[in-house]
Amino acid sequence: MTAQMKLGVFLWATGHHIAAWRHPKSHVTAGIDIDHYIQLARTAEAAKFDMIFCEDAAGLREANIGIGSQTSRSIGFEPISLLSALAVQTSRIGLVSTASTSYNEPYGLARTFLSLDHLSGGRAGWNLVTSASPIEAANFGATGLKPHADRYERAREFAEVVTSLWHGKASGHAGQSFSVRDPLDLPRSPQGAPVMVQAGASDVGRDLAARTADVVFTAAQTFEEAKAFHDDLKARMAAYGREPDDIKIMPGVSPVVAETEAEAREKHEELQELIPDDVGVALLSSYLSISDLWRYPIDGPLPELPESEGMKSRQALVVEQSRRDGLSIRQLARHFAGARGHWRIVGTAAQVADELQARFEGGAADGFNVMPSYFPGELDAFATLVVPELQRRGLFRRDYEGLTLREHLGLKRPA
Amino acid sequence: MDNGATMHLAVSLLPGTSDLTGEPEFPRLVRFVQQAEAAALDMVLLADSAPASDSGTVNNPMPFEATTLLAALATVTSRIGLVAAASTVTHQPYNLARRFASLDIISHGRAGWNATMARSPREATNFSRPEGFSDTDFRRRSEEYIGIVQGLWQGWDADALLFDKSGGRFHDPEKMHLLDHKGEFFFVRGPLNVARSPQDTPVLVLSGLSEPDLDIAARTADVILLESGSVESAKVRYDDLKRRATAAGRDPDAVKVLTNISLAPDDSSATLADRLETQFRAKSCDGFSIHLSQLSVFDDFFKRVAPELRRRGLFRETYRGTTLRSHLGLAGGGEQ
Ligand SMILES: Cc1cc2nc3c(=O)[nH]c(=O)nc-3n(C[C@H](O)[C@H](O)[C@H](O)COP(=O)(O)O)c2cc1C
Repeated sequence: MTAQMKLGVFLWATGHHIAAWRHPKSHVTAGIDIDHYIQLARTAEAAKFDMIFCEDAAGLREANIGIGSQTSRSIGFEPISLLSALAVQTSRIGLVSTASTSYNEPYGLARTFLSLDHLSGGRAGWNLVTSASPIEAANFGATGLKPHADRYERAREFAEVVTSLWHGKASGHAGQSFSVRDPLDLPRSPQGAPVMVQAGASDVGRDLAARTADVVFTAAQTFEEAKAFHDDLKARMAAYGREPDDIKIMPGVSPVVAETEAEAREKHEELQELIPDDVGVALLSSYLSISDLWRYPIDGPLPELPESEGMKSRQALVVEQSRRDGLSIRQLARHFAGARGHWRIVGTAAQVADELQARFEGGAADGFNVMPSYFPGELDAFATLVVPELQRRGLFRRDYEGLTLREHLGLKRPA
Repeated sequence: MDNGATMHLAVSLLPGTSDLTGEPEFPRLVRFVQQAEAAALDMVLLADSAPASDSGTVNNPMPFEATTLLAALATVTSRIGLVAAASTVTHQPYNLARRFASLDIISHGRAGWNATMARSPREATNFSRPEGFSDTDFRRRSEEYIGIVQGLWQGWDADALLFDKSGGRFHDPEKMHLLDHKGEFFFVRGPLNVARSPQDTPVLVLSGLSEPDLDIAARTADVILLESGSVESAKVRYDDLKRRATAAGRDPDAVKVLTNISLAPDDSSATLADRLETQFRAKSCDGFSIHLSQLSVFDDFFKRVAPELRRRGLFRETYRGTTLRSHLGLAGGGEQ
C-alpha cells in the first residue's frame, strides 16, 4: 500500500476564522457547550481522522479588552479537562492537547497526560509549546515573558524529564530548571508513551523537534516554504539518531469547501465581511509581537519590525508574505484573520484534494492539521466532501488500522 | 428532622481502592459512581494518588490523576457532585483555577476542588522544591493560593457573555474583571479564559486541617472535612468552626462540616445507621464523608445503610437541584 496522509482536526471553539462566531451558522455558545465538542469529536472519528488537536494559552489571547470582547477568543475549555471528557465519549480518535513548558512542572504534566492516555486507551498526545505571549506571562509572575532562548532551554530539559518519566525510567533528575525524585506512580502507557507533538519553528524550535517530537505542527503558506521546512527538519534528525519517518510533519490548512467553486468563494467572502478592521489588525499585531501596528496607515505597507522574542517563526512568515504579495496592512490583516497565517484553500472537494495531494506527494507534508473556518459547518463539509475524495484517491484511510494514536500515525512503539 | 435538615453524604475514593480483579479500572469506577448517584449522595471525592502520600509505598495506585478522572466521570453521570483533590504544590494557581472552572462547565455545575492543608514534603521533591516548605510558609502560601483561585473564579459576571452576532459583541468588557494579584508568593493578573461557573464558583473542600488552619478554612471553605473522634469532641470542633465562620462575616450555614468515617466490612448496617444518626442529631457535623478500602464494601452501604437513613428521615429521597451547591444547600458563590 502506498503511504497515506495523516489528518488531524484542530478544534477551536467557534472556528479558526476570527469572525467565525458571527457567522449565522456557527455555534456561538461553543466555548461553554461540552455536547458541541462531543459531537465534533464523533464527527471527526466517523471520518477516521488520526486525531483531535487543541491549542492552548494560559491567559487571554488579546491584550485589548475592547477588541477581545469583539471576538470569541476570551473563553473556552481548558484542553486537558476537555479531552479527558472526550476520551470516554469516543473510542478511536487520538486526543492531543497543547501544554506549556514555561508554566508547568514536568512531573505533574507527565502524570496528567499519562492519565489521559489511560482514560483513552492509548490515544493521548502532548503538544509541547514554549508560550510566546506576555499576557500569559503576567499570570505566572512579575518578571514578564522570558527570552526566547531561555524558554527553549527550559523546554529542552522539560521534554527530557517527561520522556524519561513516561518511559518508566527511575527518576532522580536534578537539572538546571527542574528536580524530580520519584518515578511516576501510574502504570505504563498503553501505547508505550503518549505521542509528543511540537509546534515551534525557529532554529532552536526545529532542533528540539528533531530531537524529541513524533509529530510537528507548523504553519506554511506556499509549497516552497512547506517543502523547505520539511526537508530541513528531517535532515536535522540524523544528528539525534532518528530516521525521517519517525516524525510526521503536519502543516495547518484551513479549507473553505463547497459543492461548487462559486459557492466556496461566496462562503469565504461572507466570513471576510464579518471582520472589523481593528480586530483584524489587533490579531496580526499579536502574532507579530508588536503593540502599535494601528499607528501606521492601514492601507500602507507593513513597517520594519523589531526582532521578536515571541513567535519568531510566525513573524518571519508574515513579513515574507507581505513582501511577496505586496499586501497593505489591511489586506494582510484580513488575510491573516482567516487562519492566523496558516494555509487556506477555497474551492471544491476536488480542488482541495488536488492541493493537499500535491503537497503530500511533493514531499512537503506527511499530513495536515485541518482548521475548519467555523464549527460545525466546515468540519462537516470537510468530512462529507473532502475525506471521501481523498479516500477515492487512496490518499487517506477508510478505517483505523489500530487502536492507539501511535498506531494511527504509524509510529514506533517506544521500548 | 424537625427543621427538615438532612445530612450530607460523600464517599471518598482513595488510592488503593482499586481491587485488582482484572476488570478494567474505568468501568468499575463508573459503576461505583453511578451507584452513588442512584443513592442520591451529595458527592464523590476523588483522591489523587502518589504526591499526596508520604508513605513511600504505593499499593495498587489508581491509573488516573484526579482532575482528568473527574472530567471523564462527568460525562457518564448527571447529578452527583464530583470533587477532585489537587495539590497547591503540583499546579500554578492560574492553571488550577482554570482546570476546575472548565471541569465545572463540563459537569454542568457539579465540580469541586479538594485542597489539603497538610504539607507533604515528599511531593515537593518531585516539583523542583527539594528543600520543601516550612509549615508556616506552606500555610501562608496556601491561603494566598486559595484566595487567588477563588478570585479568578469570580472574574466574569454571570451576565458577561452577550453572544451578539450581528452587533459583533461577544462579551461585555465591563463584566470581565482583572484580578491583579500581587502577593508574597504569586503574581497573577487574570482573568481566566474560561467562562463563569454554572454554580457561580466550583465548591471548595478543605481537609487535612491543623489548629492554625481553622481560620483559613472558616473564611474560605464551602465544605470542611474533619477526622472522626468522640461525639463530644466533634461537637466542640463543629461549634468552634461555625463560630469562626460567623466571625469572618459568613453565614455559619454557608460552611458544611463533614466527618470522615471509615467503613469496615463487618459493620452491620443498623449499627452504622445508629452511629451516624447519633452523631448527626448531636449536631456534631452536617454530614459524613465515607472512606473505604474496597469498592465492594459499598454495596452494603448503598443497598442498606442509605435506605435505612432515608427511612429515618435523615437523608434525602432524591436530588432537588442539579448543581453540587444545590445538593449541599449552599447559595451561589460570591454573595454568601
Ligand atoms: C504552528 C504553531 C502552533 C502553535 N501553537 C501554540 C499554542 O497553541 N499555544 C502556545 O502557547 N504557543 C503555540 N505556539 C508557539 C510556540 O510554542 C513558540 O512559543 C513560538 O512559536 C516561538 O517559537 P518559534 O519562534 O520557535 O516558533 C505555536 C507555534 C506554531 C509554529
